[in-house]
Amino acid sequence: MKLQGSYTLPAKREVVWQLLNEPKQLAACLPGCEQIEAVGSDHYQVKLKLGFAAISGSYSGSVRLSDKKPPESFRMNVEGRGTAGFVQGEAKIELVDDGDQTVVRYSGVASVGGLVASVGNRMMELAARRILEQFFANVASQLRA
Amino acid sequence: MIPAAFEYHAPKSLEEALRLLNRHGSEAKLLAGGHSLLPLMKLRLAAPRCVIDIGRIHALRYIREENGRIAIGALTTHSEVLESPLLRAKCPLLPQTAREIGDVQVRNRGTIGGSLAHADPAADYPAAVLALEAEIVVASADGTRTLRAAEFFVDMLTTALLPGEILTEVRVPVLSPRTGTAYRKLHQPASGFAIVGAAARLTLGPGGKVEHVAVGLTGVAPKAYRATAVEKALTGKKVSEKQLAEAARHAVPQDVELLSDLHASSEYRKAMAVVFARRALEDAFSHAQGKKK
Repeated sequence: MKLQGSYTLPAKREVVWQLLNEPKQLAACLPGCEQIEAVGSDHYQVKLKLGFAAISGSYSGSVRLSDKKPPESFRMNVEGRGTAGFVQGEAKIELVDDGDQTVVRYSGVASVGGLVASVGNRMMELAARRILEQFFANVASQLRA
Repeated sequence: MIPAAFEYHAPKSLEEALRLLNRHGSEAKLLAGGHSLLPLMKLRLAAPRCVIDIGRIHALRYIREENGRIAIGALTTHSEVLESPLLRAKCPLLPQTAREIGDVQVRNRGTIGGSLAHADPAADYPAAVLALEAEIVVASADGTRTLRAAEFFVDMLTTALLPGEILTEVRVPVLSPRTGTAYRKLHQPASGFAIVGAAARLTLGPGGKVEHVAVGLTGVAPKAYRATAVEKALTGKKVSEKQLAEAARHAVPQDVELLSDLHASSEYRKAMAVVFARRALEDAFSHAQGKKK
């Protein structure tokens, strides 16, 4: 499953960069994030409750950031496992200046397996898009606060 | 295939169900026919702590004519809709749609209220209630409110229902003279869900011009929607099959976010939305002309 898109955030990219690299603030933006813990440099363990309406489950996994070029770009690896299946993904995230705002561009590939993939296939891509939109909307409101 | 443990309640009245729903809040799920919720629970994709089974509230199971409209209780099954002489005579689009839902088991247990409240992006009824400009009645401890079908569907699996509310009734108009309706669907053969489903309602006025037309599409986008550009292209015009086909090409507006999955890419869905909108319009048009019933 390919995921790509962009989102405009109401702050300069140095500010955005700082927020995305600060685990506490990041956790506040991750939809359904119940716990985040640094287990190494740029390596976090997370617990998420993800889903839509009736279809939701708990996932635990890790997030790893690499190839960091502040404040321009980084790569993000996500691995998670839950009762309903597992997810693995990698994305490149770029921050582009746009006046007082920052455009975040992401492009990546995610693979999902297990029950959630075989049963939820019809709605999975859309669910992933919605979760990302929610994430960026949360980042935007953090920046405004 | 065994669900996680849950608390079970089987209220006998709407008031009791509303009280339970208020008490348990977001930990509770309403169970109607169970053909969406139970499979999810068996696979443990859903694990509500509390299930409120409203299936025994018989007062919500009816189809009756009231003030020029037909009122359908939320717990009416797809089979009851399909076989209702009243609906067949006065609002055939709902039976036409119910016939295409799932399989016999699903139609015997699944309910119109459950299907609408679940708001699966590929469910059949949403297209029909949009084309019928139906009203959806919801109840809460504070009373009832009535929503238009177009404002009821918000997003994938998301409706305008608020916490503590239960969908109780669907109201559809009685077919006016020289009106035809049709539901045409491209089935996903394994699941029976719509890859694309198109519902059309078309009324011819004096001189054979299209007086009113409404088209609902499901399966294409995160939520079912009215194809307003198709409707605009036909309203007030004298049409032939050629114009219907021409108008159907507007079935998918530019700004619609298209669904895509293993079975059908977004490009394919878009192409099929045009084809099935055209077929539904052709059928509705010929019914409106009185060619066949």
